[in-house]
Amino acid sequence: MRALAASVEEVFREAAARWTLVAYFTLSTIFILLFATAVNLDIVNGALAGAKLFGQSVEIGRSSVDIDRLVLGFESGFSGFLYLVGTFLALFATAHLVPRLQEKGTIDLYLSRPVGRVPLLLSRYTAGLLLAAANLLYLIGSLWLIIVWKTHVVHGRFFLAGLSILFTIATLLAFAFLVGVVTSSTGVSLMATYAIFFFSAILAAHSRISAALSKDWAAKLVEALYWIFPKTAQLGRATVAHVAGDQAFRGIGDMNLLAVYGSTAIFGIATLMLACWLFSRKDF
Amino acid sequence: MSALPIEARGLRKAYRSGLKGRTVLALDGLDLDVRPGEMFGLLGPNGAGKTTTVKILLGLTRATSGEARLFGIPVGNPESRRRVGYLPEGHRFPGYLTARETLAIFGRMSGVDGPALRSRIEPLLDRVGLASWRDVRVKKFSKGMTQRLGLAAALVHDPQVLLLDEPTDGVDPVGRREIRDLLREEADRGRAILVNSHLLSEIERTCDRVAVLRAGRIAAQGTIAELTAQTTRYRMAVSPIDDALLASLRETGSEVTRVNGHLELSARDLVQLNAAVDRVRARGALLEELSPLRASLEDVFVDLIAPASVAGAGPKEPS
Ligand SMILES: Nc1ncnc2c1ncn2[C@@H]1O[C@H](COP(=O)(O)OP(=O)(O)OP(=O)(O)O)[C@@H](O)[C@H]1O
Ligand SMILES: [Mg+2]
Repeated sequence: MRALAASVEEVFREAAARWTLVAYFTLSTIFILLFATAVNLDIVNGALAGAKLFGQSVEIGRSSVDIDRLVLGFESGFSGFLYLVGTFLALFATAHLVPRLQEKGTIDLYLSRPVGRVPLLLSRYTAGLLLAAANLLYLIGSLWLIIVWKTHVVHGRFFLAGLSILFTIATLLAFAFLVGVVTSSTGVSLMATYAIFFFSAILAAHSRISAALSKDWAAKLVEALYWIFPKTAQLGRATVAHVAGDQAFRGIGDMNLLAVYGSTAIFGIATLMLACWLFSRKDF
Repeated sequence: MSALPIEARGLRKAYRSGLKGRTVLALDGLDLDVRPGEMFGLLGPNGAGKTTTVKILLGLTRATSGEARLFGIPVGNPESRRRVGYLPEGHRFPGYLTARETLAIFGRMSGVDGPALRSRIEPLLDRVGLASWRDVRVKKFSKGMTQRLGLAAALVHDPQVLLLDEPTDGVDPVGRREIRDLLREEADRGRAILVNSHLLSEIERTCDRVAVLRAGRIAAQGTIAELTAQTTRYRMAVSPIDDALLASLRETGSEVTRVNGHLELSARDLVQLNAAVDRVRARGALLEELSPLRASLEDVFVDLIAPASVAGAGPKEPS
């Protein structure tokens, strides 16, 4: 345990020293400050004051909106934004973890310690996830506090977005680790992982794609890939839906939530296991 | 508990390189034993398989066949590395850590707890001559300083076995001597030390035993004295030396040359040597000294390696 804790600590020190952690948190902080300033503008203050005086609704133009629903709308919209940006930033900040480890002259230093290869790799994976989780908690937690402070509307559901995004990051990071173990290249890991992200999103339209294909095997291939790859498009919509409550979640294509999360989890676990297996067999 | 610190039997390693399945035979049946308190030198030309041997002992690379154990534990088991310190060839420590942080992180990876580390790091940095650099980031270190840090990292958990790949690479002459003394101290404390090096004079001064690797096989092995003793040539100091004496000695079948006021002669065996001594005495000359001539380790090395590089010096080409 001591050895693995040291390995995790080393990842954090590296992140802090390499500016990635600093940049990551600086960007988040700027965003939070912008948001805090925006909700403090007179017009917002006025509207919110009105809402508090005349019951729980805000005048927007000529229609009046329930403040609870307004906050929910913002929170779910922000979750969708964070799903995309948070995932990309997290991968950007962690994709180097394996290639860096495997560098000639560096890997020897780690593997000559009495730590198994699989625990070593998993400790770096865990460290990467902790890094991403800390950032998500910081962003979502700060916004949530500002919202509670300004509107007195408390939505625990906002945090579900964080969990759902972290799940997506965990899956994609596993894939980035696999590519990292094989290629030892941060650039290739990032590109391949982003490619998987978009390719999978396109596959959400699998039924229309396979219907348009003339070859039977091609259609079958599309269907198979659809089931194998992470469901990035559906996960994005599910993230928003968790925060918004059921009203925005009118089914995701032909898939239920369990299938979305289940098949994605299988992809993540399988790629992580493959990465561990290849790493443990590698000659350095 | 009589398991040897380092033990290898019949190690073979074929590297597959490229897509066409070309193989490089880096090791071809290597046996190795290193005992406690012994400093063992592994010599050999570039590409002989020295680094490969060490990497197999650490489980960094898997042997194609054969087996290796550290204290009786097979090298595939991470536990075998608990009591091992390793200084890799061309190592690169994370540049963002300071010397002290580096030792703390890697010490903990070897299972040393906080209090033990705190009491160990300062004296260790002092020992390798980095005391005043302890809080400087590693990326600012010169090559020799990095090498010293590498040695400290190899020693931070007080290992029983040390595997050192070119430990004095890039270190200045004074530093090299310091490192030599430090390694000798460790050996005297009962540590088993395996050193890879090209610096033969250094090996000659510090190692108890050496093995010369050539193309993945051991070409010669033994103590320095065994390897450098050339039992067929002797130095003989007699007086007076005159041409008649030389002629008389040559009649015994020895080859005799006059070198700086003494004689060097070759003798097939002790009988022939004693026959030469009889001739000296028979002529009324006085024998002052008779000793076997020693070659330097370098001479032995070059003799051993030369036949392999007749076709062209340098590392063997990939086949
Ligand atoms: N990862 C690898 N893949 C393919 N071949 C390798 C690999 N590592 C080493 N070799 C080959 O194995 C042989 C032995 O290499 P090794 O590094 O053990 O030599 P060495 O004795 O340490 O040489 P040097 O004195 O230059 O450090 C060489 O022919 C080398 O080309
Ligand atoms: Mg080498």
